[in-house]
Amino acid sequence: MHRIKRFFSALRGDASAVLRDPIQRRKFFKYLLIHLVVVTAALVCIYPLLRIFSVSLRPGDKLFSTDLSLIPDNATFVAYASLLKDTMFLRWLWNSLLITLATSFIGVSLASTAAYAFSRFKFPGKKAGLILLLSSQMIPAGMLILPLFLMIMKLKLMNTYLGMIIAYSVSSLPFSIWILKGYYDTIPRSLEEAALVDGTSQVGAFWRIILPLSTPALSIAFLFNFTTAWNEYLVARVVLFSSKQYTWTLGLFELQGQYITQWGMFAAGSMLVTIPVLAVFLYSSKWLISGLTLGSVKG
Amino acid sequence: MEILRSIYEVAGFIVLIAFGVAALEGYFYYHFKCHDKPWFLPVALAAFPAAAVVAAAAVLGDYQFRLWFYFLAAEALIAAAFRYAIKGRHTVPYLLLAPAFVGLALLLVYPFVFEVYLSFHDLKLTTIMSWKNTGTLPFVGLRQYYDVFTTSPLSEVTFWALLLRTLVWTFTNVFFHVAGGFALALLLNNAIRFKGAYRTLLVVPWAMPQVVAVLAMRGEFHSQNGFVNIVISKLLEVFPFLASLGVAPVQWLSDYPLLTCTIINVWLGIPFMMVVILGGLQSISSSYYDAADIDGASYFQKLRFITMPLIKPVLMPAVTLGTVWTFNNINVIYLVTGQAGGTEQADILVSALYKAAFTYNRYSYSAAFALVVFALLFFISVTYLHGFDAAKEER
Amino acid sequence: MATVQFSGIVKKFGDNVVLNGVDVEIKDHEFVVIVGPSGCGKTTLLRMLAGLEEISGGEIRIDGLRVNELHPSKREIAMVFQDYALYPHMTVEENMSFALRLRKTPKAEIDARVDEAASILQLKSFLRRMPKQLSGGQRQRVAIGRAIVRKPKVFLFDEPLSNLDAKLREEMRVEIAKLYQRLNATILYVTHDQVEAMTLAGRIVIMNKGIVQQVGSPIEVYRKPANLFVAGFIGSPTMNFMHGTLRLEGEHLRFASGDIKLTIPPYLLHDPRKHDGREVTVGVRPDDVLVGRTAEGCSDKVDGVLEVCELLGHRENLYIKVGEQRLLATVEAFFDRSPGSAVTVCFNYKNMHVFDKATEARISE
Repeated sequence: MHRIKRFFSALRGDASAVLRDPIQRRKFFKYLLIHLVVVTAALVCIYPLLRIFSVSLRPGDKLFSTDLSLIPDNATFVAYASLLKDTMFLRWLWNSLLITLATSFIGVSLASTAAYAFSRFKFPGKKAGLILLLSSQMIPAGMLILPLFLMIMKLKLMNTYLGMIIAYSVSSLPFSIWILKGYYDTIPRSLEEAALVDGTSQVGAFWRIILPLSTPALSIAFLFNFTTAWNEYLVARVVLFSSKQYTWTLGLFELQGQYITQWGMFAAGSMLVTIPVLAVFLYSSKWLISGLTLGSVKG
Repeated sequence: MEILRSIYEVAGFIVLIAFGVAALEGYFYYHFKCHDKPWFLPVALAAFPAAAVVAAAAVLGDYQFRLWFYFLAAEALIAAAFRYAIKGRHTVPYLLLAPAFVGLALLLVYPFVFEVYLSFHDLKLTTIMSWKNTGTLPFVGLRQYYDVFTTSPLSEVTFWALLLRTLVWTFTNVFFHVAGGFALALLLNNAIRFKGAYRTLLVVPWAMPQVVAVLAMRGEFHSQNGFVNIVISKLLEVFPFLASLGVAPVQWLSDYPLLTCTIINVWLGIPFMMVVILGGLQSISSSYYDAADIDGASYFQKLRFITMPLIKPVLMPAVTLGTVWTFNNINVIYLVTGQAGGTEQADILVSALYKAAFTYNRYSYSAAFALVVFALLFFISVTYLHGFDAAKEER
Repeated sequence: MATVQFSGIVKKFGDNVVLNGVDVEIKDHEFVVIVGPSGCGKTTLLRMLAGLEEISGGEIRIDGLRVNELHPSKREIAMVFQDYALYPHMTVEENMSFALRLRKTPKAEIDARVDEAASILQLKSFLRRMPKQLSGGQRQRVAIGRAIVRKPKVFLFDEPLSNLDAKLREEMRVEIAKLYQRLNATILYVTHDQVEAMTLAGRIVIMNKGIVQQVGSPIEVYRKPANLFVAGFIGSPTMNFMHGTLRLEGEHLRFASGDIKLTIPPYLLHDPRKHDGREVTVGVRPDDVLVGRTAEGCSDKVDGVLEVCELLGHRENLYIKVGEQRLLATVEAFFDRSPGSAVTVCFNYKNMHVFDKATEARISE
């Protein structure tokens, strides 16, 4: 900030030292350039989101305008109102939330124990297990949809929450295990040993010492599970067929796919699903960085 | 579909009885510490399950013989697992792993194996009804694999063209992800004001739900209402000479679908790399840079000889993962081109695979196709990771 | 309080034998220090006693009870770790009471015991802090407090002072000594620092390469090291060693090593005839190397050249070269000679040690 202040004071002419001193001047332009580039990049990053917002505020007759202003003339929340009133959007959100929370919870609990085994124990098959996890990332998307579909059909879970939860539950598991293993590896072993001497079992040491200490990594794993399931639609398209059971992704597709695309409602719906996810994501972004780096360095 | 059907028929049965009996059995062996005895394995493999079968048969009455076979096999497997788990004192890790791996086995390994099964048979629209009724599929050996390499998964584009396109797509994307992420991370790693705010804004594309992000970006490439063309036409109004250079509004989605997809995916993927690289940059001790300053290194020399080598261990896994994700990225392409009839110009291997299965209903063909893609990806990643190990040793 | 017996302890990691038949017995209320260079297996031995490491062979008994298969928490031991291992997510108080809470001890008793331990260790004002907010020395005290609260049969210390700076280490050493007097407990203390071993121990166990080299009181291992390794490991600065041959000349044994020729007095080696022609190593502590004026009254004088002088304050280290042999002498400050000058050296025979060169075992009295 003080650099900018100095810049302005230089402009005012009372001390143009900043721009006269060659070193200061170079520094000033360097930082000016950095800010310019970063601001441009940031604009590119958020512009589409702002545009959706702008579209969602447009009155129905101006949806297809070439207007670039962010707050359109006659801005209105009609699209939001009709989205909530005329469609099952809230129901879709609720479906998504339920399925997503359940899968994330299952995914993180499974990953937390498995990662502990990989991080702390030596056992036959350890390497094979890790390779299995890694190679599961290479299974092409869409490959497993058909078998999953058949499985869910056989289990008579089509069009149900449970079917979706089962189908989603392991999708982020390998990645979560890798992240958590990397984090566990950084926790000194002597903490668990102290707990053992203090009187916990091995599992107790995990529960009372390691888990509480791994909150950041657990949050990241949770976030990953959450976003994957929250954004999924390929499996959902196959498993869910009544619009009452739709997740928001399918619901928005429906809005978009009808003979007249409901652009206003579509944009309003997009805003509504984006904002909470964005908030959670940005809130945890600090952990995200440390967790990702740890996971990858140690992994 | 013998296997599939029977597995589901016995699934509940096995879970309830076999696991229960095996747990009891395991406890029994463990309690009396007889897992070291020479008779343990034969008894565990044969006698105990057999006794359980007899007991269960008495209770449940007549049932298909095949079920007993599966039951015995499962029982034997579990007993063997118990022997090794307990004798090797590895009980705890196996127990910790069990839930995750049972899940993976059912929802990942089994579907995978099923795809392998499909790839050797012929399941398509014309055989699906008879499969539903009789549960059997014609066995075709390697024909599906032969077809993968010789016929088109869609209507015209061939496997080889798709492969080339996928490789170009992957390389371009990963290159721009890393380059863009690196550049932004380097800029953000300076002591600048509003760093936190910038970082927050820059991860928005990654943080947004991908469906929304892609569809929003797709809107920006719309031929009339899209931001890109609006800007181009406004530029033309101001600088008419640009038209003579060939600048004009373009039908992005129908004329240049792959380019559009690439731009969108680069936009989506940079934040992840930026975050990873920024984390790596922040973990490099500043004393290296101080030492280099004293040695008289220029900015680019420092970048080349300090930043690059030290960031490598962080970067390599991220790049590997990024490569796999990009290679497998169906979302962007499907969302941009796939819905309304769509074009084949932008399809890469995975999206062609998805369409072959669900638009053209060639299930067995797509299974074989998927396995080929999987093998390819596996090969690429192993090569990558090999390089990573080498880099690790250099350190 | 309790006794501890190690009998025939073997530890293997794969094919790598870390401990090879360790037999040590620790009496009730005894402060035993296990000392040795890194990798000698001392920490492994301690961890086996704690139950953190599997026992490949042999038997450990606490109070006569075989504990090989017992879970760590059932062994009634408490351990202070090298990195303290304070639970980062618990306050000092919670750290100290964790074990008691696990045992479902009544709240009043937990409070009383934590309070007692905190007052012994002057931690009362820190009870609500998190480990992160404490200095190294304070963390160390919390780790000890966590052990005291348990009232265990045996205290185990695993190099507890190695993460502290030199000054703090000295202070904590004294604190631990005081604590021992106060608790009068059985303590097993592992360190690689022979100064800690000498000052704290009731008895020292010196280990090398997975084998116990000598067990004895500090003064025993200092005065009568059982072998070359102990002689070189205990004592600072390190003992001088001279390799040479014994020859019988008349009634007396003569030792020759290059330019150094000494007569070995009969009170060192009783039966001179037995040792004729034997290859030996003679060890002399730097304090027993006499230089200059103090050397003038000696019988076997050796001429050397002064290479370097190190003034330590009240003492001075002299590095002297005699022929090919380098000797270190510690003398009263100030030894007023410049490097390069010739000096006369002789040895204090009373404190001389003779070791067999092949077996490295002590042969002198």
